[in-house]
Amino acid sequence: MTTVNKRPATHINEIDAVLQILDVLPTSLFIKDENLKFVFSNQAHCRIIGSPAESLLGLSDADFYPADQVKEFTAADQAVLASHVPHEFMELATATDGSTIYSLTRKLRIMTSDGRIYLVGTNTDLTAMKTKEKELEAKEARYRALAETVPVGIWHLNDKDETIYVNPFLLHLLGMTESEFMSASAGDFLGCGPAIGLAEMLSDKTRFETDLMSNGKVIARALVVSSGWLENAGVAGRSVMITFVDVTKIADLQNVNDQVTRLNAELSQNIQKLKETQEEMVRAGRMAQLGQLTATVAHELRNPLATVRTSAFVLDRKVRGKGLGVEQQLLRIDKGVVRCDTIISQLLDFTRTKAAQCKLIEFDSWLAKIVEEEAAKLPSSVVIECTLGLGELNVAIDPDRFSRCVINIVNNASEAMVGKGDVPQDQKCAAPKITISTSRTPRGIEVSVADNGPGISEENLKKIREPLFTTKAYGTGLGIPAVEKILEQHNGGLEVSSTTGEGACFTAWFPIKQSLEEAA
Amino acid sequence: MTRALSILVLDDNVDNADALAELLSMDDHVVKVAYNGQDAIDAYSSGKFDLGFFDVMMPGKNGVESFLEIRAQNPDAKIYFMTGYSADDLVKKAIAGGALGVFDKPVDLTTMLDAVERAA
Repeated sequence: MTTVNKRPATHINEIDAVLQILDVLPTSLFIKDENLKFVFSNQAHCRIIGSPAESLLGLSDADFYPADQVKEFTAADQAVLASHVPHEFMELATATDGSTIYSLTRKLRIMTSDGRIYLVGTNTDLTAMKTKEKELEAKEARYRALAETVPVGIWHLNDKDETIYVNPFLLHLLGMTESEFMSASAGDFLGCGPAIGLAEMLSDKTRFETDLMSNGKVIARALVVSSGWLENAGVAGRSVMITFVDVTKIADLQNVNDQVTRLNAELSQNIQKLKETQEEMVRAGRMAQLGQLTATVAHELRNPLATVRTSAFVLDRKVRGKGLGVEQQLLRIDKGVVRCDTIISQLLDFTRTKAAQCKLIEFDSWLAKIVEEEAAKLPSSVVIECTLGLGELNVAIDPDRFSRCVINIVNNASEAMVGKGDVPQDQKCAAPKITISTSRTPRGIEVSVADNGPGISEENLKKIREPLFTTKAYGTGLGIPAVEKILEQHNGGLEVSSTTGEGACFTAWFPIKQSLEEAA
Repeated sequence: MTRALSILVLDDNVDNADALAELLSMDDHVVKVAYNGQDAIDAYSSGKFDLGFFDVMMPGKNGVESFLEIRAQNPDAKIYFMTGYSADDLVKKAIAGGALGVFDKPVDLTTMLDAVERAA
């Protein structure tokens, strides 16, 4: 066996020195003769092959490596020996202890001065790098699988707005193929116009919601999250990773939630309205029954009242001028009839539930006539002054009911000042005066009846609208509630103000309706 | 008073009808009384009246139904109504059918006598 360890004596020192240096090099180095038998192996190579140098010299790869590797190594060695240039191979080598390394092996054919051919080889152990590379590949495969399957749109673009990667979910969300996506303007589907500088725009770590568009129509609602600029993200220069979370259903859910909330509020309001309506219906039902009863009683009472009045009238005609002294008695009979009739009228007004039967009336002239008729029935000391400001304005009112309204208020004013006019202690006012005025205001028409009587105490003002409340010895307490009811039937109301000692003012108001259709 | 009139008073309330008839008679008018609608119709068929005062509500034919029948035969019949309930729909029907007017019960007799005076 020929080995380089048996070196010529003339160069023994230099060769020894070189071999000693080679022996301790961290790089694995071996030398084979032209029969591919090992003639040198440094310590690093011995570690790879798993045998000391002494037991390795004179042997070949076939003595250490598996057959398939030997075949590969031998082919490579022979190729090197046949050529004059160095060769590099990626080799997988399994040592005798079973450990495997990835090796970048460089091989070179050399010829010594005496014409012998050798093959010098070095191994760089790439096992760690290869393992890392495999790990990276596995990791990348996992990430790619994730990107391909995750239900989130992913778009990676560089700082030139060029798409590096778009995942299938984003394409699915946009209804595009990859090639359509590549040729489309990103600004189109983001609904933000031309996409120049898009990456720059999204380079801040932003998070926003936007509509995703296709052919000008909104196709989805997305939460867009930008990674901000990424350095070294597998591309040259900076890039940005944008993710799209489909929030359409969340938005729909929010809409549904909003609608349910709104409907709940409406339902709650409607239940309240229904309750109020039910209560109103019960009240109206009772009132209708009461109204019917009152109407029947009114009819039945007014007939005998009519008989009493007519009989008293006949009696008066018969005894007049005969000095019988019954005039006062006859007058009292008639006053009693009037009082009974007033009570019946107030009961009817208060319990009437039928809708107002409106007619178009020139209000001021109609009111003047009613006031004139009523003034004739009031005690003569009461002065009535009218300041009517509506001109020839026609409005729709139920004249029968509204006249009851006016008569009630005017009578109340008169009675507050002078009573019925026949009892001196009821005279609470030196110069009793009622001022009636009409005016047009933003809320409609106002009819004010003011008196200069004693006024109404604060305590009584609070109770004045309560049915059956009265301060009169002979009142039903239904006058003001009846007035309010009539005004309500005209969609209006009543306001009462008073300063004790200075008088009271009753203001009836109702919206102007200048046609019967409006009033209906 | 200018002249005596022939007047028919229709009221199912006998006291009412009689009291009114007595009052009108005091002014020398010739007053006939009917206590139901059919009697009033028959009276108009057999006689002539210058004026009539009809109650509205009564058993059988009410005042307005009777009035409308009378007007069908006597289109010039002049009739006033008297009612205890002024908002009665029947009264509106009577006015639409040509009644001269309506007096609310208890009737203001001075006003009623004025109306008689105007007709005389």
